[in-house]
Formats: sequence, structure tokens, C-alpha cells
Amino acid sequence: AGAQMTVKLASLAPDGSIWDLATEEMGADWATATDGRVRLRIYPGGVAGDEPDVVRKMRIGQLQAASLTVGGLTEIDDAFRIFGVPLFFASYDELFHVLDALSPELERRLEAKGYVLLNWAHAGWVHLFSSRPVKTIDELKRSKLFVAAGDDSTVQWWKQNGYRPVALATTDILTGLQTGMVESLPSPPLAALLLQWYRQAPYMLDIGIAPLVGATLVQSRVWDRISAEDRAALLASAGRLGEKLEREVPEQDGEAVREMQARGLEVVAVPASEEARFRAAAEEFAERVRGERLPPEILNQALAARGAYRARQGAAAGGAEP
Amino acid sequence: MVAAALVAMALLPLAEIVARGLFGRGIPGAGPFTQHLTLWVAFLGAALAARDGKLLALATGEFVPAGRWRDATRLFSSAVAAAVTGLLLWACLELVVSEREAGTVVAAGLPIWVAQLALPIGFALIAWRLVDRASDRRWGKAVAALGLAAGLAAGWHVFRLSRDFALEPEPFGPALPWLLLVGAATLLGAPIFAALGGAAVLLLLAEGVPAAAVPAETYRLVASQMLPAIPLFTLAGFLLAEGKASERLVRVFRGLFGSVPGGTAVVCALVCAFFTAFTGGSGVTILALGALLLQALRQERYSERFSLGLLTASGSLGLLFAPALPLILYGIVAQVPIEELFLGGIGPGLLLVVLVAAWGVREGLRGKVERQPFAWREALAALWLGKWELLLPAVILFVILTGIATPVEASAVAVVYALAVQAFIHRDLSLTRDLPRVLRECGVLIGGVLLILGVAMGLTNYLVDAQIPSRLVEWAQDSIGSRILFLLGLNLLLLAVGCLMDVFSAIVVVVPLIVPLGVAFGVDPVHLGIIFVANLELGYLTPPVGLNLFLASYRFDKPLLEIWRAALPWLAILGFGVLLITYWPGLTLGVLELLGRR
Ligand code: NA
Ligand code: NA
Repeated sequence: AGAQMTVKLASLAPDGSIWDLATEEMGADWATATDGRVRLRIYPGGVAGDEPDVVRKMRIGQLQAASLTVGGLTEIDDAFRIFGVPLFFASYDELFHVLDALSPELERRLEAKGYVLLNWAHAGWVHLFSSRPVKTIDELKRSKLFVAAGDDSTVQWWKQNGYRPVALATTDILTGLQTGMVESLPSPPLAALLLQWYRQAPYMLDIGIAPLVGATLVQSRVWDRISAEDRAALLASAGRLGEKLEREVPEQDGEAVREMQARGLEVVAVPASEEARFRAAAEEFAERVRGERLPPEILNQALAARGAYRARQGAAAGGAEP
Repeated sequence: MVAAALVAMALLPLAEIVARGLFGRGIPGAGPFTQHLTLWVAFLGAALAARDGKLLALATGEFVPAGRWRDATRLFSSAVAAAVTGLLLWACLELVVSEREAGTVVAAGLPIWVAQLALPIGFALIAWRLVDRASDRRWGKAVAALGLAAGLAAGWHVFRLSRDFALEPEPFGPALPWLLLVGAATLLGAPIFAALGGAAVLLLLAEGVPAAAVPAETYRLVASQMLPAIPLFTLAGFLLAEGKASERLVRVFRGLFGSVPGGTAVVCALVCAFFTAFTGGSGVTILALGALLLQALRQERYSERFSLGLLTASGSLGLLFAPALPLILYGIVAQVPIEELFLGGIGPGLLLVVLVAAWGVREGLRGKVERQPFAWREALAALWLGKWELLLPAVILFVILTGIATPVEASAVAVVYALAVQAFIHRDLSLTRDLPRVLRECGVLIGGVLLILGVAMGLTNYLVDAQIPSRLVEWAQDSIGSRILFLLGLNLLLLAVGCLMDVFSAIVVVVPLIVPLGVAFGVDPVHLGIIFVANLELGYLTPPVGLNLFLASYRFDKPLLEIWRAALPWLAILGFGVLLITYWPGLTLGVLELLGRR
């Protein structure tokens, strides 16, 4: 401890986006809080590669930290697949409650793989965008659904549940939509706006598919070389950053939807009866992928936490009624 | 083994298209398996290239007088190359060990580390061949083996330090003397991969970054999603070059354009453009068609200088047409949709062909070369005979643009199409006698190229790690006032790059530097890609690393200087075309606008 160190951090967040700006702010914080003993060098916008590449570079010791989303986190531990189960979470509030319950176990798993969790950095909520309106679960099953190529088990999840996943590179989405090779894709609204996907897929399903959970990690072997005092300061700064994103990201997604609506996006409302069918299909989906590279104990824990939250909400709502 | 892997690479994406079409769900892991097969094709192909002594090297080594001096430089450059290979071998093992600990899988339970074994196995075979070919004498081989042993020892040293997380910057002292040593060996004829890989490892180690960062990037590129399109389209080109497709094409273009003044010169430009689009600047065009076309030109009394210049220059025409490899590689590195580059390249590609053809017409008028009269019957008969070859580019664009296939799958379609045309329709190619040989030759070429690209990615990794692209953007935004100035600077820079690097490594190393600049100056990414490739096309004709100059010199058995002099006017014509392409974005983007993509 006491020596100077540079922590190299990579992320997919575009240069200048709120995530990137927040990370830069954290870097400035870190330098001040530790009198320059810990400096952050940021590689934004995927210059260090896609998330699996970033994780690989952390393993070989080129990078020491990263802000990852579900894709990169599942490269480290399968438990993070829980955040990829469609329609598992109904709202941010529900997500935060389940996350609180799961955090100790997830942090333990990360520690076992040699990482320390600095914060949860939320990246938005994934919605379904489609080239034709998708209102029912049957229409969704008939639609050719984009799935990011590379992680074959996610592709298999969708197949097992009777959907038509088409594995493509993210760069091929626009062409895929234009040519009809894919007809629908899950995406956070901001990404759909920035990458212009909404122009070819101008219908957005009103139900959020899944949160795009992100986390900032640092390698334990680097972390352990920092003095306890400095570590506390760094963690506090990272925590502030996470809270800030927790507030700003949902607002930003809302703005993105309004912006796209002004340019022709149609938000497809789903009748309550059909929403129930969507939720039921999702429950089945979660059960069917139990054990398929999704650790059962994580699913059980998440179900229990979610059940408790829903019961409380139900009771609160019930109590409020006359 | 390379042949089997190539065949599997072509069949998997096809099976995927069929399964997706029939059952709507495709084959589990077809994509990831094809990508990792590419890794094996690349490194086994590279090992074969090393065995045949066909690893690409600078031709500067040939200037050393034959005899004792040549033997000494060959030994020196081989020993240094073997040392670098030894260092890279340990770097690959470091990657494989770390991947194994992480327990990652390709698909269907196949661990990634098993697929990655292609890297250390490939480098081990290459090291062995480098030592074996270093000298004809036993003591010479022993000296090269010492070089290898030194590289392995150095690699083992940093491997252990990295595994203990105890690696400090500059483990072998300042990097500069070592870089100079590698540079000298490269000038004296060491393979280019050793220069790029050596520089990458030394620069990264000097920063305290583990050597495994080089193969990590090699793996990232060679096993990336779009990359299988490169070996597959090359294979399609090889299959076409093998049959009598070239004769049929010459007949078609002659039937159509033989009657205009300078008709044969125009025919040469068209045939070369067509072939290069498939073989992608690998020089196959000059090697496969050079003799045939030179004979045709000389028969009609075009001057030797004109004919040599035309054929040398035409060897790089067509790099802007689908499915040329530089376009695909640019799309992969810059993350631009490949078919948009294909569409964007049509206008600029035609412009260059027209410019070259126009110069040929001028020569035809001036030299009063005899013309053949236009004959409908012959033109139609030739078109009918050549219809299958002529349709191939259209088939490729059709399957991509209608959503039947991704670019990788389209490349597999192209292979099977070319094979069917050559083997079953025209019966020019025997499946048992010719196909294994063609597969092997293609594997050697692909291996040589992908090996260079893979290690060049390591060098790119250093540039990114040192944050050079973002610093360059800051500098350029402060000191370059306008887009016009930026484009002018880009032209000059790329001309210099083209003089020193081959088009493929230039794309891998320089594109990550240029793309953020292009965004900062508001240049459309597709236009930037076309400018980039068109500029580097000139590099094929510029010394000292002008590939076409060497190939033409080799194929036509003429001194390099004579070829260069003959190519000079053509360089000026193509240079004019490149300036037009650069400052007239509509030429590139017009087709995209027509299709509603801009
Ligand atoms: Na930034
Ligand atoms: Na050159």
C-alpha cells in the first residue's frame, strides 16, 4: 500500500454517454480521495473489445476493472443469467428489492472468481421492438427474434421455449431488420434510439422485458493492494455513482421513448388479459431454464425475494383498499 | 486437415441456412463452431505456409547478393523470427491456461481453451519450420535453434512473472534495442508476422502488460463472427481460378468490348476487376491471369511497357467490388455493416475501372491497334457460356439483401456455387484430383494472411492500451480546421501507409486510429471505408512493399525497376480516381441513398 497504481477500466458505454461521464467523475473522485495514489484510466465505447473480450483481458491481467452488463457478467458467473430471464421483474422497485436480497450471494460468487463489486450500474430496461406490431405471446413466438450471437445457451433457452431466435452480430441488426431476417429485438430504448433500430422496428411493446443490469468490477488482487482507508473512499465514490445512475437512467430511457414517438415510434399497449398470458409464459420460461446454466439455488432465492416483495405490495395495495 | 476444416467451414453455415429455412430454428452452435474452425484453418494453414517457405516477407531481403552474404542474412533473420515465435508460443500458452481456468465454452460443451490450442500448436510448427529452413547446413540450423531457445526462455520468464502477477514494465530493459533487432531482421527477410508480433509483444511488455494480450487479440479477430467470410470467399475465388472460368470471362468481355478501340485493354481491366473482387488483393489475379492476358495484349501489338503497366495496375482493380476481402475486413474492424460497404463500393469501383479502361481506349486509338468487328452471335454465345460465373456476384448480393443469408453464410453459398459450376456444369475441376490440392493452396494463402492479421491485432492492442487513438482525435480536432483538410491529410497518410504496409495489416492497425477521427470530422463511415480501401489500392503499386510490383516482376520475369516504370502512369490515373472518390461522397453514398439506407 501507499504506492501509486493505475487501474485500467473498460466499458461498452459510448464515449460521452451518462455512464461514461459518471465513470470519469468517479476517476476524478478517486484521484482526489487518494491523493493520486489510485488513478483510473478509462477505455470507453468498446475500444477494448466486446464484453467477453474485456473479461478475457481482465483474466490475463491487461485490464484491472470493467463496467459490464449481463453479457459480460455471465462470462464470469452463470448466476447473473437470472437477469436475462424475460419478464422476471415487473418494475425497478421489484428489481432493487430482489437485487438487495441476491447481492451477498452474487458478491460471494464474484469474490470466488477474483472480483470485487464496486457498484451496480444500471443500463436501462430492455423493451421489445418489432417491425410489425406484436401484441400477443403467439405473435412473439412466430416473430424472428434477434439474439446476440456468441452466447449459445441464451439462443438455446429461447428455442426450448418455442421461440424463433436468430443469432446475429449486433452490427447486423439494422440489415437484419431491413431484409426481414429478424423481425423483433429486445433493446433498451436509448440504444434503439442511438443506433436507429426503431426506424426499422417502429413498434415497442409496452411491457418491459428485462432490466439491463450492469456492474462495475475490479480485480481482487489489485483491490487488495490498496490500503483499507483508500478502499473505503473508492467504494463510497463508486456507490455515489451507482445511485446517480439509478436515478438518471430510467429518466433517460423515458426521454428516449418520447423522442422516438415524436419520430414515428408506436408504443403497443397490451390488454390486461394478454399481459397475464405474457407473465404466465415467462413463469414457464424461468422454470424451464432452471439448471440450464442458471443455478437453481439462485432462481429459488430470486423467486423467494420477489414473492416476498409482491406479497408486501399486494398487502399494501389490499390494505389501501376500503 | 486444413482441407477438412475448410470443407466443414463451408458446410456448417449452409446447413444453418437450410435448417433455419425448413424448421425455423437453425443448428445449435453453427456460428461459434464455424468461427473456431477458422482459427484452426488459419494456424494450420500458416504452419503449411511456413513449411513451404511461403510466409509473406518484405522483398528487401532479395537485394542482398546471393552467396555467403545471402546465407548469413537468411540465418540471422530466421533466428530472430524463431526467437519471436518462441516468445509468442509462451504468450499463447498463457492465454490457453487462463481460458482453461475460466471454464468458458464455445457451444455444446466444447471448451474454448481446446479450440484455442490452434494458436500454440500453429506457432510451435512455424518455429520448427523456421529453424529447419534457416540454413542448408546443420550448424546453421543449430544457430537458428539457439535463437528459438532464447525466445522460449524469455517467453517462459515473462509467463511465470505474469502468472504470479509480478510482471513489471520493461522486463528485458528498454524495448528500443530489441525493436531495432526485429526491424533489422525484417528488412533482411524475416516473415512479416514476426515483425508485427515481435513489435506488439515488446511494446506491451515495456508497459508491463502481459504477453498474452497479443494472442488474446489474435483470438478475438480470427474467431470473430464475420471473419469466416474471408477464407470462404477466397476459396470461391480459388475454385474459379482453377477452372477455365478466366478463358470464358475473357471471351465474354471480348465479345462485348472487343470492337471498341483499345478493346482488349478494356477486357483486361474488366476481367482483372472481376477476379480480384474474389481473390482480394492476394495477387492471385496476376498469377492466374497475367500470362493469358499479356499474350492477348502482345498479339494485338500493344507495347510491352503499356501491357505490363496495365496488367500490374489491373491486379488491384476490383478491391472495391463485393465480396472483396479488404471490404469485409474493414467492416469487421470498423464495425460497419459489410453489405453497406459492398453497395458503397459499386460507384467508386466502376469509376476506377472506367478510368483504366479509358486509358486503354486512348492507347488503342493512338497505337492504331487492330480491332475485331462486333458480332452479336459471338457476344451472345460467350455470354451464355459464361453466365454462371457472371451471375455469382449477383447471387451473393441477392442472398444477403433478401435476408436469406448473413454475409458469412453467403460466402459458404459462393463456395458451393463455384464448386458446382466448375465441377459439375463445366467439368473443369475434378473432385478427387484437383479439389484437395486447391483446398491446400487456399489454406496456405489464408493461413499466411490471417497469421499476419492476427498478430497485427496485437499491435493495435498496444495502440489502444496506450490510448493513442483518443489522443490523436484530440490533437486532430485542435490542429485540423476542416473536413477537406482532414481528408487531404488522410490521403497523404494512407499513401505513406500503403508504401510500407500491405492492405490487410494496414486495415487492422490503422483503421482503429482513423475511425474516431472520421466520426469527429463527420465523414460517413461507409465513405471512410471506401476512401481507405481505394487509397490502399494505390499501395499495391508503390515501392517498397508494392505487392503487385513483386508479383508482376515474378510472373512476367522482368526486373522490378522496369515493372515500376511501366506502372507509374497507371499509378497517376488511379491516384486521380482516388481523389475523386475522396472528395465526391455522392459517388459512394448514392447507391445507399437509392436503397433508402441514408
Ligand atoms: Na469520455
Ligand atoms: Na505498397
